[in-house]
Amino acid sequence: MVSILTFIIMIAVGAAVLGFIAVSAMFLIWWERKVSAHIQTRYGPMRVGWHGVLQSVADVIKLLLKENIVPEDVDKPIWWLAPFFAVVPSVMVFVCIPFGNLFGIDLIARDLNIGILYIMALTSISVLGIFMAGWGSNNKYSLLGGMRSAAQIVSYEVPMIISMVTAVMFAGTLSMQKIVEAQRGMWFIFQPNMAVAFLIFVISATAEINRTPFDIPEAESELVAGFHTEYSGMKFAMFFLGEYTNLFIVSALAATLFLGGWQGPFLPPVLWFLIKTYGIITVLMWVRWTFPRVRVDQLMGFAWKVLTPIAFANLAVAGWILLK
Amino acid sequence: MNGLIQLLNNLLNNYGLQQGFIAQASFYVIAALAVVFALGVVSSRNIFHCAIYLALTLFCIAGVYLFLNAEFLAVVQVLIYVGAIVTLFLFAIMLTANIGDRTIRHTNKQALAGGVIAVIISALFIFIIIGDPWRKNLAQPQPSLTLQEIGKSLMSDYALPFEVISLILLAALVGAIVIGRVKKE
Repeated sequence: MVSILTFIIMIAVGAAVLGFIAVSAMFLIWWERKVSAHIQTRYGPMRVGWHGVLQSVADVIKLLLKENIVPEDVDKPIWWLAPFFAVVPSVMVFVCIPFGNLFGIDLIARDLNIGILYIMALTSISVLGIFMAGWGSNNKYSLLGGMRSAAQIVSYEVPMIISMVTAVMFAGTLSMQKIVEAQRGMWFIFQPNMAVAFLIFVISATAEINRTPFDIPEAESELVAGFHTEYSGMKFAMFFLGEYTNLFIVSALAATLFLGGWQGPFLPPVLWFLIKTYGIITVLMWVRWTFPRVRVDQLMGFAWKVLTPIAFANLAVAGWILLK
Repeated sequence: MNGLIQLLNNLLNNYGLQQGFIAQASFYVIAALAVVFALGVVSSRNIFHCAIYLALTLFCIAGVYLFLNAEFLAVVQVLIYVGAIVTLFLFAIMLTANIGDRTIRHTNKQALAGGVIAVIISALFIFIIIGDPWRKNLAQPQPSLTLQEIGKSLMSDYALPFEVISLILLAALVGAIVIGRVKKE
């Protein structure tokens, strides 16, 4: 029987997820600045709080208080809606991310039996926000950034989804919780052909979330800031929130699909999940501050001529192993 | 979604409202929104707005699928139509020079032929919908199909249509490459 209490629990879970997303994004921005600083033998933020931990909080307050500037020639409805299209799908993905369990309660909002497909669908529509920002800004840099981003995301989606399908084939289910349970004996990454899938997934996911070495949509040296050149204040902050939420999501997916999700010895499951996810995030940051940006033609050629054929061959090998 | 609907139903039951009221009400809201956005697609004067309206229409149709307990279909609808097809539309719009200008006409001289074709197609749809019994319980929840059942029927009962569709897609792909190929003089 559903009662008022269930209703209150639903609201509380929703608030907890939103709170987690905000805090995680602020932590990741601080962490990125620290990682990049130490890679470049600097200190990074040091003034606000212990080693600058409250720097992101100060930045958010600054962005909230900023004047709302609307450039004169923007396509207003599109320009206003774009930040929401960039953030809302990412937030909706959290419905079926398995955080493990705490005191016997499974920390997953709803374990849909089509979970991974649901996540694929939602991540594929967040590109609409980038498009709308690029077009609505009525600015050549924004338009070029939006177009580059679209071409890149559409191309890298193919190898990314194929590598996810490889994991689904080994697990035999689309439910996120059951994919984790299928890795009870051995994490998928320890099988050679899943290790290939993991590499393909991480490379194409880096491209999907527009991070260096695949950050041509917002290449500062060519495009000012790409699709969000004309945004400031809280709308700019929304794009940033979306970007860091996506970073968390792809890392959580990599951890869930290939690294055994919340499973692990000794420590509680939630802790294992967070260790794996933030570990992958740290590796992605390390990559970002180490490698130079690739050229547009190299980028598209790499997706279609290298990654996609390898992903399909890998899928065929996975099918052969399963049928053997 | 079903959980939320059930919850609201129970809340309303305490105030003497009919069972199933919320499910029906939200179905009609989503269906009406789909029609409103569809009108936006054909009546908007800015082609980029048309494409965004199309994305929203397809979202609402995915919502209608959810009411029919066809979760797989709903998610695939969003993945293919919103995530891939509308994205390609937007990409094509952005690549076309000056297409957003106010001076460009968004209607053409073939309105009569287009109207006739639209009438024929809608007559066909109405004929099919009226002739089929499933329309009677469109607003009621249907039994849910598992993925295994969908996969099995695609590979056994509906194997031929499935393969024919893949052939058509292959032909379209080859055609696109032939048209888009750089011609060597």
